[in-house]
Amino acid sequence: MVFGKKMPIRSTICDSDQIGRILNSDQSGRSFRVLPFRQPGGVRQVSVLTDLRIGETAILIALDLPDSVQNYLMHMGFVPDATVTALRRAPAGDPTVYGIDGMEIALRRETADAIRVRSASELVTPTGSEEELEETQELAEAAR
Amino acid sequence: MSSCCTPTGLEQPPAPSTPGSLSTVVLIGPPNSGKSTLFNRLTGLRQKVANYPGVTVEQHMGLMAGVGRDDLTLIDLPGVYSLTPYSEDARVAIDVLRGKMSGTPKPDAVLLVLDALHLTRQLMLAAPVLSLGLPTLVLLNMSDLMESRGGIIDPLKLAKELGAPVALISATRGTGLDAVPLFLGQHTNGNNAQPLTLPVLGNAASTHTWAASVSRRTGYQAPLSAENSRKLDNVLLHRIWGPLLFLVVVIGVFEVVFSIGQPLSDGFGDILARIGSLARPLLPAGWLQSLLLDGAWKGISSVLVFLPQILLLFLFIGVLEDSGYLARAALIADRVMRTIGLNGKAFIPLLSAYACAVPAIMATRTIENKRDRFATILVTPFMTCSARLPVYMLLIAAFIPNITFLHGFLGLRTVVMLGLYLAGFVAAMTTARLLKSSILRSSETPFILELPQYRMPTLRSLAMRLVDRAKVFLRQAGTVILCVTLALWVLAHIPPVPLHNGTYTAPELADSVIGKLGHFIEPAIAPLGFNWKVGIGLISSVLAREVMVSTMGTLYGADPETQTMHLQTAMHHDMTLGGAVALMIFFAFAMQCTSTMAVVRRETNSWKWPALQFGYMLVLAYGAAFVVNNVITALFG
Repeated sequence: MVFGKKMPIRSTICDSDQIGRILNSDQSGRSFRVLPFRQPGGVRQVSVLTDLRIGETAILIALDLPDSVQNYLMHMGFVPDATVTALRRAPAGDPTVYGIDGMEIALRRETADAIRVRSASELVTPTGSEEELEETQELAEAAR
Repeated sequence: MSSCCTPTGLEQPPAPSTPGSLSTVVLIGPPNSGKSTLFNRLTGLRQKVANYPGVTVEQHMGLMAGVGRDDLTLIDLPGVYSLTPYSEDARVAIDVLRGKMSGTPKPDAVLLVLDALHLTRQLMLAAPVLSLGLPTLVLLNMSDLMESRGGIIDPLKLAKELGAPVALISATRGTGLDAVPLFLGQHTNGNNAQPLTLPVLGNAASTHTWAASVSRRTGYQAPLSAENSRKLDNVLLHRIWGPLLFLVVVIGVFEVVFSIGQPLSDGFGDILARIGSLARPLLPAGWLQSLLLDGAWKGISSVLVFLPQILLLFLFIGVLEDSGYLARAALIADRVMRTIGLNGKAFIPLLSAYACAVPAIMATRTIENKRDRFATILVTPFMTCSARLPVYMLLIAAFIPNITFLHGFLGLRTVVMLGLYLAGFVAAMTTARLLKSSILRSSETPFILELPQYRMPTLRSLAMRLVDRAKVFLRQAGTVILCVTLALWVLAHIPPVPLHNGTYTAPELADSVIGKLGHFIEPAIAPLGFNWKVGIGLISSVLAREVMVSTMGTLYGADPETQTMHLQTAMHHDMTLGGAVALMIFFAFAMQCTSTMAVVRRETNSWKWPALQFGYMLVLAYGAAFVVNNVITALFG
């Protein structure tokens, strides 16, 4: 995975408070628009399930789907903080098979597009300074 | 063991229970967790089981004779992920569980079946089920597989966490099932369990948190995921090899059904003919002998011959279903299905319709979108079901020369057969496209499909499938086909013609009632290249397609000119190539099956849909047969 050097992590939706808020609001039945968070300048950031390349893993943040579908998927294991791995694409390129909780579940692109995730290797440090962030990122890079 | 499964509607409701005593036990669990396998073990019945989610789509009831408790009724339910219904089959399960299904008794105890391989997720269902307050036994199925893959589970701790007894079982092998009668024995005396107050309900995220913490506290370690499944998928879902292998498998199935099945069927046919000629001296010569041997036996045995080939086909379908490949096929086909406007999930019922359309139409209950479901129901009868096989086999063997290509690996007969299957499939897809872009238009529903791990099909389950199929086939031959052939024989022998000496004899076939009727309708079917005997066959085969073959057997048997001939030879003499191919095409498209019409009526809750379906398919069949007859006659005639 490639990370931009100066990428401010705080601007992403990894803040636990925000996650809580989104989930609470989702239960009230209001739907939320997912804003694209691709960074300019060719930086690849994982923000929805479809961004995952085969073999990549991410942590689930929230589902932006109609209530019934969301509820169904959650009971299949698509809950916040679950680890999702993109396992393989169908021969025609779509749907994609995702591994979650040891199960393999196939989703079409438009469903996977509505499932927000963050990169599994991203560190959640909401209170870190800019330098610390850079440091952790470098460490993460080195670890890879 | 009970001889066969009883339709749900005929089950006797158990005597009203006194409060506190058990009479009805229900099986519930997530899809593909093995409920039906367990149901079969506990009742000794044979519900269909296979390795993909959504095999069971309605409730089934049976007495728990398998564990010596035939005073108790066990209800098998479709799998559910939660108690919030998402599709038609889940709604059935939840209604029965809550005692809201009319005609089904309210359950007094619950057997919750969870797949031990994925316990954390499966526990999410435990919370709402346990909070119902019914006595519940938690059965962790596939525990043998889990242990062999290095998973760890502590049933005692789990029982304490859940406040319900827990047992490790393997429904496939039948181990650990003593826990069930033990549990039932404890609860027969009426010491109901206290309803467990669980911290979370109604919210998937918090239920998952609860399930995860329970599995963590009880020290559950998930087994290693099946590497073999992944490796197999690397090939079977490969960009190029995946679809290619799918084709090879399909073509291979038909080649085997022909090259191995045909000699088997021929041998079986010889045995049946021998039985007929052995019985002949036992009966007095005269009308009774003619009725039983030339009428009934000739008709029935002309259909029975195809039993070996049909069983071979079912063996292959069984292997595909039990191994877990069917869900992969749906995944491969999703792209195609999507351009048609159907959900990839519709592919599973469509594939199982190669066996029979009736269970396939019921299997559409797993399709969440009602319009998608109706479109699938309407096109399912186009898929080539096994009842068409005898008709195709008879006509192909009689009219298509046995030429082989590719050094004998592929025969012309196989190619024709594949072409017929393809014709049905293309008709289904085109019709679905039409429906989805007109009367059944809807927005796309998400495709969410769980891929089961591959499993080696067990000999036991394959053997049971074949035995059950053979029984259905024989029962059909002994009831519908027997009645039709007897009726045809009678109609072919009236009105009696008086002789000079005062006795009566049978009329010429053309002068009999059936001959008159046949000649009356002949003008309508003559443009298709069909003679009047085929016309009678078309009418009688509305009951069931294989009746066509027995009707031909009886009619050609009643005709003195063709009486001594083999049915294939007789038809070869009496029909043109164009007419024969047109007849096959007619059968590929026409909806000649009353059972299918009845099930469509039931599932759509209206006569409108089966009527539309019958009319549409008949028009298509007539038109296609007309074109085929004229083209082939022009080319080869």
